[in-house]
Amino acid sequence: MSEYIGNIVYGIKSFITGMKLTWSHFVNKKDLVATLQYPNEKWPIPEKNIGFDHSEYNSIRSRLHVDIDDCIACMQCERACPVDCIKIDSVKPPKDIEYDCGMTSNDTQKKMIVSRFTIDMSECMYCNLCVYPCPEECIYMVGGPNEDKHPIDYEFSQYSRDGMIFEFADATDEMIKEAGGKKWIESRDFKNEKLNDGENLKGIVVEEKPLLSKEEPKVNNEISTVSDVKIEKNVELNITSFNTITDKMSRGIAKKVYVSSKRNGKDHIAILSDVSQTLSDAGKMTDDIKSILELLYPSSKDEMNKSVHKEDNSSDLKENNQDASSAKKNDAKNIVEIDIKDLNKIEDKMARGTAKKAFVGAKRTGEDKLVAIRESLNKNNLLSKDIDELLNTFSPDPGSSNSKAETTIKNNESDESKDILFDIKELNKIEDKMARGISKKVYIAGKRNNKQPKEIIEEILISLKDSDKISDAIIQLLNKLKGN
Amino acid sequence: MTSIVDRLLLSLNSTVIDYEILLLIIITTLGVAIFTVMAVNALIAVYFERKVSAFMQDRLGPMEVGIFGFKGGKKFWGGIGQTLADAIKLLVKEDIIPDNADRTLMILAPFIIFTGALLTFIAVPFSSNFVISDFNIGIFYIVAMSSVGVIGIILAGWSSNNKWSLYGAMRAAAQIVSYEIPIGLSILLVVLVSGSLNIGDIVEWQSSNRWFIFHSPFTFIAFFIFFISVVAETNRTPFDIPEAESELVAGWMTEYSGFRWALFFLSEYANMLIVCLVASIIFLGGWLSPFHIINIFPESWYIFDGPNIGLLWLFSKAAILIFVMMWFRWTFPRLRVDQLMYLCWKVFIPISLFNLFFVSLWELMTNV
Repeated sequence: MSEYIGNIVYGIKSFITGMKLTWSHFVNKKDLVATLQYPNEKWPIPEKNIGFDHSEYNSIRSRLHVDIDDCIACMQCERACPVDCIKIDSVKPPKDIEYDCGMTSNDTQKKMIVSRFTIDMSECMYCNLCVYPCPEECIYMVGGPNEDKHPIDYEFSQYSRDGMIFEFADATDEMIKEAGGKKWIESRDFKNEKLNDGENLKGIVVEEKPLLSKEEPKVNNEISTVSDVKIEKNVELNITSFNTITDKMSRGIAKKVYVSSKRNGKDHIAILSDVSQTLSDAGKMTDDIKSILELLYPSSKDEMNKSVHKEDNSSDLKENNQDASSAKKNDAKNIVEIDIKDLNKIEDKMARGTAKKAFVGAKRTGEDKLVAIRESLNKNNLLSKDIDELLNTFSPDPGSSNSKAETTIKNNESDESKDILFDIKELNKIEDKMARGISKKVYIAGKRNNKQPKEIIEEILISLKDSDKISDAIIQLLNKLKGN
Repeated sequence: MTSIVDRLLLSLNSTVIDYEILLLIIITTLGVAIFTVMAVNALIAVYFERKVSAFMQDRLGPMEVGIFGFKGGKKFWGGIGQTLADAIKLLVKEDIIPDNADRTLMILAPFIIFTGALLTFIAVPFSSNFVISDFNIGIFYIVAMSSVGVIGIILAGWSSNNKWSLYGAMRAAAQIVSYEIPIGLSILLVVLVSGSLNIGDIVEWQSSNRWFIFHSPFTFIAFFIFFISVVAETNRTPFDIPEAESELVAGWMTEYSGFRWALFFLSEYANMLIVCLVASIIFLGGWLSPFHIINIFPESWYIFDGPNIGLLWLFSKAAILIFVMMWFRWTFPRLRVDQLMYLCWKVFIPISLFNLFFVSLWELMTNV
């Protein structure tokens, strides 16, 4: 009998204990959420990558990338590939045609143009064997030791299997024809036709993207598309251009004015001035909106000229634009350029406004945008660690001579403001895998909640102590980070 | 307490429509209304279930499908469109009936279960004015009707011609039949004290005295026995051995898909709502305001009572109980079959019998 009652009492006790536990999780959900909202949030990528050093093997290998300008079509990588996932076609100009194939960055005269360079990443087994034979060192795994050549890819997931075939050759059909590759193009088109026929037999209508088309490299055009879009926006003003205005009221006003003045047949600049006039009349003009509108004006001098000549020849203008965009593409190939949209990530309204102003100003004068933004933010004491981190993710302008100055400024800042959060890479010095994982998790959680570095270090220490993973080396390392 | 059917009949009697046709129209309309309540309840309860489970497991739950102006995101209402999307998906799914299944019974089973849930609602009052039909044996009718579902469950398990389904059905039958005894005995206390099977009278007793849960220490225990038993009767975790994903795939629902499965789901959540409504009516004061917990407050404090605001009180009480049921589900692991039977026959039933004896004694002592 006593056992029976004891069982009941024990049951009630464990019932209450269990309910308490889940309740504590339920009410503290914000601090305890353990999942990462993947497309919106991403884990940091381990920065080690396949390198030539033996200790770097077995770390992550991201993706094969080819600097096609340096490729001399020697086919060494294709031969080295154990799974035959690299396919290279080249066209050699006949002797009677004078055609300059260009120089590589190692000052080797190229003797042929690469008409096709595809890597099927779904077949690639990341053995890195193609990297070693390359005489021009133009094929490599992105990220890691090659971070300066190409930043690491977070992912390259695609909607169809064809998307995994990466096309690197950028020679256009005209170039190939000029170099005497007419035959090659014919055979390629013939193949494509056959492929399409096969697809049609299945009853599937193929999209307008034949497998081997030479239009553009499929990857690595994130940057180029961004700049393309920007230029397009400058040329063609349409109603969607105003969608970047965050305030609902002023967006509505802007759109209304746009529609009415477009109906009256006004041109680009007149419409914009109308919009800004009405907005300031309504008292809705903020720095934010001003900078957005300024962006919508044709910005660079070339385009100003173009808009003057607009009446003369509009088709000419389009061609020019395409040239400009492709030129820009080549420049910006390996560099993440800062865009005004990126500044929207800044949370502080004042800081965002100032940053955008500085961005537009720098764009006009052709200065380095990052330096300008930093300077103006510093002047107004608005530079927080978040913004600093954000700006650090962008590389300096390719053409700017100010990059040195910029780095010195960066150094000064890191000396001045001690509250800047240390990088997550610092935690890689922790040798124990488990402890490293735990501390990185805590770091991310703390960073998400905008905690002070000292707090984060304290939390790391506590959670490590809880899980018994703490060692003297880790304490030393954390103290060192605290000291900084 | 007049029922909605009676009031509608009275007010529409002057029209030229025949009495029989009028009755038919009214009953159909009210049936559709009940179905709407069930569907809305399932939509909201499923969303809450997913959110509550997510928060208790340190996740965020559905947060992508926004609807009605709610944008998807981390906020609580971020994924409110998710259950609607799920419902649409269920309705357009293929309806699969296995070759060797008993076709007629398999098609019939979900409707029997659904009818059981729908019929129970007839006697469940939503407030002093909102009751479809006011029985003088209302609580008895509810207890009787809520076990109609067992027939449907056994039919579903048998007709599927699947070992898991049959196992699940047998377990469900054993469980539901067993747990009806402590439920009945707990309700018997209430009937004994209030002296009526009519739900209106039971709530009337509570409004002139106090909530039944605080009638005596024995009713306090009886409430918990009742609540845990109804959790078992609705086949929810930790008493979900008829479904037992890890053992029986989905128990008696294994072979069902699409619309029929949606009916099972709908009746499960409707049953949840019913038992929570009944628990709040007979133990927690029904549509009375919380000031009726113990009757020491002056008359002027009872201004919050009324037929319309009573709806709010009753549903908030039921919502809290539903939340507790979800809380159970995400806290406790599933019981073994023998543990389940032990809990019912060796713990709940003896204690309920003791309760019955002592409450009778208590009534004798206090009413002398």
